Amino acid sequence: MIDTTVTPKLELRNITKWYGPEGTGVLAVDDCSVSVQKGEFVCVVGPSGCGKSTLMTVGAGLEDATRGEILIDGKPAGKPGPRRSVVFQKFALFPSETVAENIKFGLQMTKVPRDEQERRLREQLEIMGLTQFRDSYPSQLSGGMQQRVAIARALAMQPEILLMDEPFGALDAQTRTILQEEVQRLSHQMQYTVLFITHSVEEAVYLSDRVIVMSRRPGRIKKEIRLPRDVVWKQGDIEQAAEHPDFIEARREIWGLVREEIMAA
Amino acid sequence: MTVKTSPSSLLPQPLVYGAVSLGILGLVWVLATSVFGWVGPEVLPSPFDVIARFANLTTEPFAGAALSGHVFASLERWSYGVFLAILLGVPIGIFFAWAPWFRAVVNPVFETLRYIPPFAWVPIAILWFGASTTTQAMVVFIAAFPACVINAQLGVQHVDDILIQASRVFGARQHQTLRRVVVPVATPSIFTGIRIAISNGWMALVGAELVVGKTGLGFLIAQGQRE
Repeated sequence: MIDTTVTPKLELRNITKWYGPEGTGVLAVDDCSVSVQKGEFVCVVGPSGCGKSTLMTVGAGLEDATRGEILIDGKPAGKPGPRRSVVFQKFALFPSETVAENIKFGLQMTKVPRDEQERRLREQLEIMGLTQFRDSYPSQLSGGMQQRVAIARALAMQPEILLMDEPFGALDAQTRTILQEEVQRLSHQMQYTVLFITHSVEEAVYLSDRVIVMSRRPGRIKKEIRLPRDVVWKQGDIEQAAEHPDFIEARREIWGLVREEIMAA
Repeated sequence: MTVKTSPSSLLPQPLVYGAVSLGILGLVWVLATSVFGWVGPEVLPSPFDVIARFANLTTEPFAGAALSGHVFASLERWSYGVFLAILLGVPIGIFFAWAPWFRAVVNPVFETLRYIPPFAWVPIAILWFGASTTTQAMVVFIAAFPACVINAQLGVQHVDDILIQASRVFGARQHQTLRRVVVPVATPSIFTGIRIAISNGWMALVGAELVVGKTGLGFLIAQGQRE
C-alpha cells in the first residue's frame, strides 16, 4: 500500500491555467491539485479538451501555471529537466537522429559519462525490443516502434517521475494493447512514479493505483478513485483483467463520471 | 515490428524525360533557323553558328579576354556574393524565427530594403566601391540574401513545437536545442533557400555586368551586341 501521509514525489498544487489574458482568455484548468506518491501510478481521465494535457504540460514545467505551484519532494520543481521525463502522444522523436541517438539525447545533454550512456542505451534497447533498430531513423519505424523509442528515451534518464501524455492515443488498437501490457509489467517491476494522461477509462483502470476524473472545461478535479494495486488480475493481459468483477465495477463507476461530463457539455 | 521500406529508385526515367525535352527544344531551333528558315540569322542565329562562335571564343580573346577569362571573372564575383549571402542570411533567418525580439527589431529594415531591386543598388554601389568586383558582388549579395533569410526562417518556424518541448524536457539548453534539433529539421528548407539564392545571384550578376565593368559574361554579351 502506498503511504499518502508522506510528502508526495510530485505535487501539482492549486494549478490554474489561463491561455491569453486572465479573465478574458481561455480558462483551461481551474484550481486543480494532483499529487503522486513515490512508486504510485496515477491516471488522469476526462473528456476531450478538459485540460488534462495542459495539466501535463504545466506539470512538466514546459509552461508556467497562471497560479499554483509544482513541487517535487515538497520543493519547487523549477525548469524542465532530467528528474521528470515525458512521453508525448505524438512521440516527438528527433527525425534527423537514429534510435540510438534519440535514446542517448538526454544523457548527453545532462553529461552522463560515455560508458554509462552506452550501458543505459543497451539496457533500454533490450527492454523495449529495439536492439535491431538501433541505427534506424524514426521515419523508418511504425508508430508502435516509435513510441517504444520514446519510452526508452524517457526511461534511460532514470527519472524520478515519468509523465505520459496519452502515449498510446495515436496507436492502433493491437499495438496499444501490447504496449499497455508492457508498461504495466515495467511499472510493477521498477516501481516507477507515473502521472499518466488518457481518455481511455479501460487503460486507466488497468494501469493505475488511482484514477483522477476531470470535469469538462474549465478542468476541475471531479473525483478521485483509488484502485487495488497488488492484485493478481492486474498483472496479466488486459483482456483477462477486463473480465474481473473489480475491473468491471471500477470501469462502470469511472465511465459514469466521464459520461456525465460529456453529456453536460 | 514492421519496418517501412523506402520506394525503389526512380532515377533513370527523369533522365530520359529530360533528354527528350531538351532534344525537342534543340530540334525546333534547328528546324526554325537552318532547315525551314522561318527566322533569319539577324533574329535568331542557328545552333550551328552559335556552336562555331562558342568554339572560337574559347581560344580567341574577345572584349579583353577569352571566354574562360570572362567566365572566371563572373564566377568569382558570383561566389563572393552568394557566399556572403549564405553566411549572413541563413543565421539571420534562423534567428528571425527563433528570437522574436530580434525579428521585431530587424525585420522592418529587412522588409523595407528587400523591395529595392538589386540593379537599383548599382549606382550607389559604384559610388561606394567604384566599378570593381566588389560592386558586382554586392549586387549578387543583394539578390541572393533574401532567399537565404526567408527560407531559413520558414524552415525554423515549421519545426514542430513538440520537438522543442521534448528537447527541453531532456535537459537541452536553448543553443543545444537550436543546434541539435531545430537546424537539422530546418535544413531542407535552408537548402531550398540556398538553391534559390544561387540562381538569383547568377541572374543579377549577368544583369549587373551588362551595365558596369569590363569583364564577365554580362559584359561579353553587351560587347557582342554592340559589334
